[in-house]
Amino acid sequence: MIDEGKSLFLQIAERVEDSIVDGSLTEESQAPSTNELAAFYRINPATALKGINLLVDKGVLYKQRGVGMFVTSGARAALLAERRAAFADTYLEPLMAEARKLGLNAEDLAALIGERFNERIKQ
Amino acid sequence: MTSVIEVSHLTKRFRDTVALDDVTFALEGDTIYGLLGRNGAGKTTLMSIVTAQSFATTGKVSVFGEAPYENARVLNRVCFVRDDQAYPSSATALHAFRIARLCFPNWDQALADRLVTDFRLPLKTNIKKLSRGQRSAVGAIIGVASRAEVTFFDEPYLGLDAVARQAFYDRLLEDYAEHPRTIVLSSHLIDEVANILERVIVLDNGRVIMNDAADDLRNRAVVITGDSAAVAAFTAGREVIHRQNLGNVTAVTVLGGMSPQDRAALAANNLEVSPVTLQQLVVRTTQDAPRSTAAA
Amino acid sequence: MNRVVNVMKMQLVNRQTYIGMPLIILSGAFLLTVFVVVLIPTDELKFAGGAAAAPLWYFLVVGVQALTLSFPFSQAMSITRRDFHLGTLLTAVITAGVLAVIYLAISLIESATGGWGVNGYFTVPGLSDNQLAIAPLSYFVIAMLMFLSGYGSAAVFKRWGALVLTIILTGLAILLTLALLLSVRSGTWDVMVNWATAQGMLGMTLWGLLLAAVLAAGSYLLVRRVQL
Repeated sequence: MIDEGKSLFLQIAERVEDSIVDGSLTEESQAPSTNELAAFYRINPATALKGINLLVDKGVLYKQRGVGMFVTSGARAALLAERRAAFADTYLEPLMAEARKLGLNAEDLAALIGERFNERIKQ
Repeated sequence: MTSVIEVSHLTKRFRDTVALDDVTFALEGDTIYGLLGRNGAGKTTLMSIVTAQSFATTGKVSVFGEAPYENARVLNRVCFVRDDQAYPSSATALHAFRIARLCFPNWDQALADRLVTDFRLPLKTNIKKLSRGQRSAVGAIIGVASRAEVTFFDEPYLGLDAVARQAFYDRLLEDYAEHPRTIVLSSHLIDEVANILERVIVLDNGRVIMNDAADDLRNRAVVITGDSAAVAAFTAGREVIHRQNLGNVTAVTVLGGMSPQDRAALAANNLEVSPVTLQQLVVRTTQDAPRSTAAA
Repeated sequence: MNRVVNVMKMQLVNRQTYIGMPLIILSGAFLLTVFVVVLIPTDELKFAGGAAAAPLWYFLVVGVQALTLSFPFSQAMSITRRDFHLGTLLTAVITAGVLAVIYLAISLIESATGGWGVNGYFTVPGLSDNQLAIAPLSYFVIAMLMFLSGYGSAAVFKRWGALVLTIILTGLAILLTLALLLSVRSGTWDVMVNWATAQGMLGMTLWGLLLAAVLAAGSYLLVRRVQL
């Protein structure tokens, strides 16, 4: 579940972002509290807090005094945009590295991707 | 945040061994520390001296700004139950908790009761007749329910099964979230507790060899695996703390994070990079493995 | 003061040690004595001297166990050595006090009934009214001296180890024996006996109390430096 090599608080932030992106955490709704996150992931509350603060600094969450953290309007769109921009680095680079090892060139890759896409649409 | 405990150049010598060697560190309030290291590294000795249950040979300890020796005012804000804690010979768990309730000002009886249920602890059986795990549970419950401002847990989970251990971590975290304080977990089961630690102090042969944020240690080392020659080339000039060979393949544990350029170079050379867990890091830095900066 | 009382409660968890055994031994010795003296078919004075001493010897054991069984736990309870010492001594004082009161009660009954009607005594017979009043105090002081000897020995053991304890105890035994021999030879023994008689029961009891205070202070200095 948790990646050993990566900072925990970053992963927590990413998980919260994941739930915003996939729609399970809607905009203007309340985000899980630090203690809830800590209990759920079985981590130190300070780490959870660091993750939440990261999201607040980023503008993904905002704080309502005395109530808690809420998802900013427009956060989903912003996250999607951010992830699209990082998509190539995160997913394409490893894909291309492996493809190179196997001797597949760009055309081969494109053909494979096209094939799979069509299969998915059919399902 | 002011330091709740300060240890300065602490040395403890027994007749022919040095249990603690010039140990210096500070513990802050509202933090969970891991005190890690091998058997005999000095962890219990350290905790014992800090709580004035033992005395240092040289060096200074200050708890809440004062010397702890014979200092009731400061001592009852601290709790240290050993892994081999001795109890009065006729005592049952119920007796122990009753006494603890009198001695620790922040004692929470409801919390203790909940933990007794969680651990399925028989309250009226003589502690001497309890299993190892049940006896550990008594100590663990005293530690958690004491809500002392500084609580030391000395391998409190020995003998507890995995389910009970998880219950302990969960309850501890839960209570810590509601009532933050300073907690020091001394443990061998490092990976189990790694995620709940905020800071890590590692002792080896009585010396502090690591005193860092737990999160920083996640990136402290990596394992590079692949063709031996390629690995050797890549790791030249880096600090290697562990090496394993299998035929032409070498797996090397190297200190230092990998930059994007490093990762590109590794990928280009078909070298695999894997993270090093806190447990692996501690084990590999405290094994008597020679440190080297050049690939052999 | 609260903490000292807590130590007492902690010690009294070992109910067998402080209450059970002393009472068992005392009642056992007492019942046995009465049983025997009632059975012996003579009207002469029957005094079972050693019986009443039985619980006193047990206090030696109580003293040792007070330190060995409870000190480590008191440390886990973040109790200072000073509070432990005071609380433990207080427990001993109260327990010895209770025994002394029981002794007083028995001696009053025996005095009133003329030795259970058969001239048989568990407590020391033929005491004057004055001495009857002092006897329980002496009983108490002897019990405390036994307790403190046990406690002090355990303290030496915990502080310096078995070897030093053996040396000290053997050394003391040798010194006392030598002193006894020499004093008998040189006639000092008779002088001392006269002095003791002159002191009377109360005087000797008070000297005992002083010795107890010295033992209490000495063992405190040891306990202060005991490490777990």
